Amino acid sequence: MPGSSTSISKIQAGGGRITLSSHGGKAWISEFSATYPLKLLSPRLSDNAVAIVYVLTYGGGLVGGDCIELTVNVESATKLLLLSQGSTKVFKDRPQQRLASVQRSDHASRSTPGQASATLQNMNFTVSSQAALFLLPDPVTCFRSASYSQIQTFHASKDATLVILDWITSGRKSLGEDWVLSRYYSVNEVLIAGKRVAKDVMLLENNEFNSDSRLNRSLAEKLSPFACYATVILRGPLVEETIVQLTTRYGGISIMQRKAPEDLLWSLSSIGSDKENGVVVRVAGKETEMVKDWLKNTLRSLEQHIGVDVYRRAFV
Amino acid sequence: MDDETFLLLLLSDSNLPTGSFVASSGFESYIKHGFGGDQNNRTIMFMRDSINAYARSALAFVSDTHRIVQDVHRDVEQGSEQKSDFDKYLQKIKEVDDLYDAMTLNDVTKRASKSQGVALLTLYSKGLTPPLAFTGVKNRKEIEIEVNSYMASLVAQYKSLVRAESAPGHLPICWGILTGALGLTLERSQYLHIFLHARSLLSASVRLNEIGPYNAQQTLLHISRSVIEAAVVRCKDLRTGIPSSTGTESDQPDGVDDKSRGPANTWPLGEILAARHDLQHSRIFNS
Repeated sequence: MPGSSTSISKIQAGGGRITLSSHGGKAWISEFSATYPLKLLSPRLSDNAVAIVYVLTYGGGLVGGDCIELTVNVESATKLLLLSQGSTKVFKDRPQQRLASVQRSDHASRSTPGQASATLQNMNFTVSSQAALFLLPDPVTCFRSASYSQIQTFHASKDATLVILDWITSGRKSLGEDWVLSRYYSVNEVLIAGKRVAKDVMLLENNEFNSDSRLNRSLAEKLSPFACYATVILRGPLVEETIVQLTTRYGGISIMQRKAPEDLLWSLSSIGSDKENGVVVRVAGKETEMVKDWLKNTLRSLEQHIGVDVYRRAFV
Repeated sequence: MDDETFLLLLLSDSNLPTGSFVASSGFESYIKHGFGGDQNNRTIMFMRDSINAYARSALAFVSDTHRIVQDVHRDVEQGSEQKSDFDKYLQKIKEVDDLYDAMTLNDVTKRASKSQGVALLTLYSKGLTPPLAFTGVKNRKEIEIEVNSYMASLVAQYKSLVRAESAPGHLPICWGILTGALGLTLERSQYLHIFLHARSLLSASVRLNEIGPYNAQQTLLHISRSVIEAAVVRCKDLRTGIPSSTGTESDQPDGVDDKSRGPANTWPLGEILAARHDLQHSRIFNS
């Protein structure tokens, strides 16, 4: 099938493009490309016309200096499920770049020496009318001293559906890593019909400085006792039912004085003042598995829209 | 005593009707959910995390709103033509306000922020503008009168927007409007805002029976101070990314700068607990 544009877009190192198109009720992947170290795998269309794409990096992780730029177009009446294979591991700052590398993007080459070793993932998603995007990756794990930034921007039509999962774990338990990353910065910005309705910015840093050292708080201290934090943004026709279920469940919770924290906590808030904007769910769990199970159960009603087999691929 | 000091004394009054009395900034929920261990250190631990988190998420909005109101001051004082374009200023403030709303994805926090925000605008209109029938003891300069009347209109019009639900009217923005309208410097405005957040927290702690009233003052004087100062120093130069009308400083031309210069949520645990405030079976605070 020919590409949807007359000229093939130039791709920088770590760049990628996915376009899911449809015509006469049939969906197909019209654009699909990635350059090292980004890797896009196994595009396929299931029976329910849901396209599944795995987004990975060579080596299974990101090292200092990596810059990933992914552009995703989910055209009218199509559904795209984006997954990863295992947690995105972020290694610590390294001064040198990868040995096998094509022309680096403007961003990477313009960085100052101090910044050059940080890792950046920049993703732009366009989700058209009656289309749906299910972004259900595994969590990010920042190893000791890692510095990671992720910027995800979603342009959605009024009747598009978005399920955006963004989560992070505390490190490699086997090495005793408990929130010892240097910096984690993640932005999820949602625009509906061109208007910004949500901009969730999370910044976790281990560099707090207070002249009175007794008052310094490490990241581990202020995030304790949880090892995994997740944010889910839900909006659109295909998740209306899920949102109603969540709202009912949330409304039924009643907290009495506790001696110690629960193993898992979650909160629900609306986005803006218009119901159509959707909701934000935040989850924190003492173990990643707990959060994964919670998410899997909570989002189960997606099965009716993408099928049981397809849903099973998420939260493996 | 100079004007600024008098203003500071006035704005620090605990009897100031700002609606902060009913807000615990998530502390009540924190305790109810079993966090903080034993009572001895709970208040200090929560205070540290809360002040740092609040400063990082809100101070840029105070600053940018304050700057917009400073622009109004300047335009009026210089007799610039721009001064008659109220809508422009209102729209700029609304832009900052809308961004704070989009970045604060927490129903409880938003609710508390809006109620305190509108209380500050009301405070200005009803409590801090010169009384109508009173010309004043001092011989006020004409330009001062003009600025004051301008500010009164600006605040009144913004409040109408909020009442009509065209603008959210969030606390950091309204604080920027209030202090900008009163002519308080940016530095003082930033510092006082975080100080008041700390003090409100300690007051909530006393009412929650966590610490006694004397202990609260001790904490405020000897412990909170360095936390407040560190937080203000760290966050005073943050910008929201919405360019001011002067456009003379670099206003984050590209996304790369956002990472170190923009507002952010730095305490996800605090976020969850604050949002869960309403789930408490019984509670004495609104947020």
